[in-house]
Amino acid sequence: MQYQSQKVAMPYFIAAIGLFTGQILFGLIMGLQYVMGDFLFPAIPFNVARMVHTNLLIVWLLFGFMGAAYYMIPEETESELFSPKLAWLMFWIFLVAGALTIVGYLLVPYAGLAKMTFNDLWPTMGREFLEQPLPTKLGIVVVALAFLFNISMTILKGRKTSIALVLLMGLWGLAVFFLFSFYNPSNLVLDKYFWWWTVHLWVEGVWELILGSLLAFVLIKVTGVDREIIEKWLYIIVAMTLITGIIGTGHHYYWIGTPEYWQWFGSVFSALEPIPFFMMTVFAFTMVNRRRREHPNKAATLWALGTGVMSFLGAGVWGFLHTLAPVNFYTHGTQITAAHGHMAFYGAYVMVVLTIISYAMPVMRGRAANSEKAQVMEMWSFWLMTVAIVFITLFLTAAGILQVWLQRVSDTPMGFMAAQDQVTLFYWLREISGVIFLIGLITYIASFFVGGETKEAA
Amino acid sequence: MSTPSIVLHSHKPGSPPGDLAIWFFIFAELLAFGIFFGSYAFSRAHHVELFNQSQLLLNRESGAINALVLITSSYFVVRAVAAIKQGLDRECANWLAAAIGLGCVFVVIKLFEFHAKFSAGISLSTNTFYMFYLSLTIFHFMHVILGMVILAAVMLKARRGGYTPEEHTGVETGASYWHMVDLVWVVLFPLVYVIR
Amino acid sequence: MSQAFTKSMARNIFFGGSAFFFLLLVALTFDTMQVLPKRDHRENITPAVERGKMVWEKNDCIGCHTLLGEGAYFAPELGNVYKRRGGEFVKAWIKSQPTKVPGRRQMPQFNLTDQELDDMVAFLKWTGEINTSKWPPNIEG
Repeated sequence: MQYQSQKVAMPYFIAAIGLFTGQILFGLIMGLQYVMGDFLFPAIPFNVARMVHTNLLIVWLLFGFMGAAYYMIPEETESELFSPKLAWLMFWIFLVAGALTIVGYLLVPYAGLAKMTFNDLWPTMGREFLEQPLPTKLGIVVVALAFLFNISMTILKGRKTSIALVLLMGLWGLAVFFLFSFYNPSNLVLDKYFWWWTVHLWVEGVWELILGSLLAFVLIKVTGVDREIIEKWLYIIVAMTLITGIIGTGHHYYWIGTPEYWQWFGSVFSALEPIPFFMMTVFAFTMVNRRRREHPNKAATLWALGTGVMSFLGAGVWGFLHTLAPVNFYTHGTQITAAHGHMAFYGAYVMVVLTIISYAMPVMRGRAANSEKAQVMEMWSFWLMTVAIVFITLFLTAAGILQVWLQRVSDTPMGFMAAQDQVTLFYWLREISGVIFLIGLITYIASFFVGGETKEAA
Repeated sequence: MSTPSIVLHSHKPGSPPGDLAIWFFIFAELLAFGIFFGSYAFSRAHHVELFNQSQLLLNRESGAINALVLITSSYFVVRAVAAIKQGLDRECANWLAAAIGLGCVFVVIKLFEFHAKFSAGISLSTNTFYMFYLSLTIFHFMHVILGMVILAAVMLKARRGGYTPEEHTGVETGASYWHMVDLVWVVLFPLVYVIR
Repeated sequence: MSQAFTKSMARNIFFGGSAFFFLLLVALTFDTMQVLPKRDHRENITPAVERGKMVWEKNDCIGCHTLLGEGAYFAPELGNVYKRRGGEFVKAWIKSQPTKVPGRRQMPQFNLTDQELDDMVAFLKWTGEINTSKWPPNIEG
């Protein structure tokens, strides 16, 4: 570790992994509720479990992004963090606010939580992924601004690399587009239209800038390839991402009351959205093949390559599968969407955060890489989790295709619950894959505690 | 750190002229236009009557003039590249200025056309044909403006003597982009205005 | 790697391309805002519809159901439930939850007042009248 202040990333990464575990546990609860409807009812109804599952995902990824930024920025700018104290303070504020919110979801009926947190004054709750009470939303804004201030000031006083610049743009974009979550008009169509400006422009826009810069950073470190080369690929990839992804927002505007030309704009541009993901895959493999050094951290390299492949499969291929308007007419709002969501989030964002953790954690613990034994265990966890998510996706896709067929395409369409009963088998198989994912995650956490001989950090 | 080395030839034989990065961009743009054109053809096959009727209301003359304008401007850009290869930066800048001037002519003609359509109450939601007509032409229109901005930047640099016969990648890059903009119109005009 | 592939050009394309397409999104959004009143029938958004949307949000209905295809996929689509079931059925259904049938998916009892139930139905009725380009494919949603 070259700079003392980088170490502030450590609590962020630990919190991220902790919340990740919570996310998976609630995922398993929901998976079981799909087949045993009254499981844990009425203690944890499905909507509560889902809120916890998705909100934990968002929060832990944000922890991961912030930790990554705190780790990368001092090294990129070649200067200590502007204020490590502020980073620590924000860590605790974010963690406590996040924990209180989750506890609130679990212990208080949602309507009561809305009342307690003054939702009547400025209603923003009860919309998918943006369920957080107003104080939490405001807290996120405060934490994000303090974080951005800290990072921006560090970049201002130090070396300005392209990786730092792209990361900074992604992080600022994240904060700016979150502001749309405060806009909740009583007209549902307008509400949905601008809701996507947070949700889509996050995951298919600015988050991909963060993803690209994290991946580029780790690739420079583990391959030793020239920064010039990596950075120009980074620019081209994020350029393609935004060129296709911004108008790609249109693939959410097919059936929510918006004009019909969106079916064309959405289809054309989102058909191109796999291109940047494909470039990312090629990029990761090319750089690793041209490596100029053998970095001892094999696990980090594996995660980086995995990110390239799985984000292409999940976001690129599974996204394309149902993005064209004539197809989406039948698949919109079915398990197909869920299948895509799981593999895309895992392949792109979960994996890139685990990549940077895999690279940075050993360094922060004073060694270039973990022991051989620990790495082998980490690679086992890589394969367990990745294969599990592939199967989750395949089973949900199968369930989705059947659902579409029975409920939407058939001449004698079945009702929703009748169709759900027909696909129970796939939900069971998905739940089993979920358990394997959890085993992978436990293996992953365990790998941090495996000792053995390690090399000192260079 | 690799330092940008001075390349003696403007580009390696066999590689495209200009900066390779612009070719990624051009490729993506042509793909987007290509899919749009394909969608147009697909959609037309389903609504031949509607498309033929609506097409009659388009101003073919202005479209044809604009095609000539853009082709001519492309020729000027070719002259600009030829000029810089001989080190005539003044002349290069003048040819580029002429090309930009024709770009302005295109824009003005197009604005009249759009104005006429909008005052007739035509919008993206009028029917499928006009959705395509407006989307494609406005999308292309924005490209013309972007192309003019690029050419202007190249022209200013040429005027300052920023290019040499050995190193003028920027001119070729701008020229490649402008040719793409021209090419798209040459396909778009017959497809949307003429072919019935 | 070709020498003529420069980082500054890649950066220019990134900035230029992003700005270009963001402007296009803004332009399309502007047009959408002009067209929407004809499709969402906002003149029919009564105070009851507004209150109904609040009831919908305060109970996190989207956590199980989809509305116009967006939400969770655990329970039926409700964008067209007014057409499928009618307002009285919807109210009776909400009041009678949970079914407590062993092994079946359960919907919580939200203890809505009569006023809230009426508002919810008004909201769902208005939602059902939005022009969604013929989606969903059939009444089952």
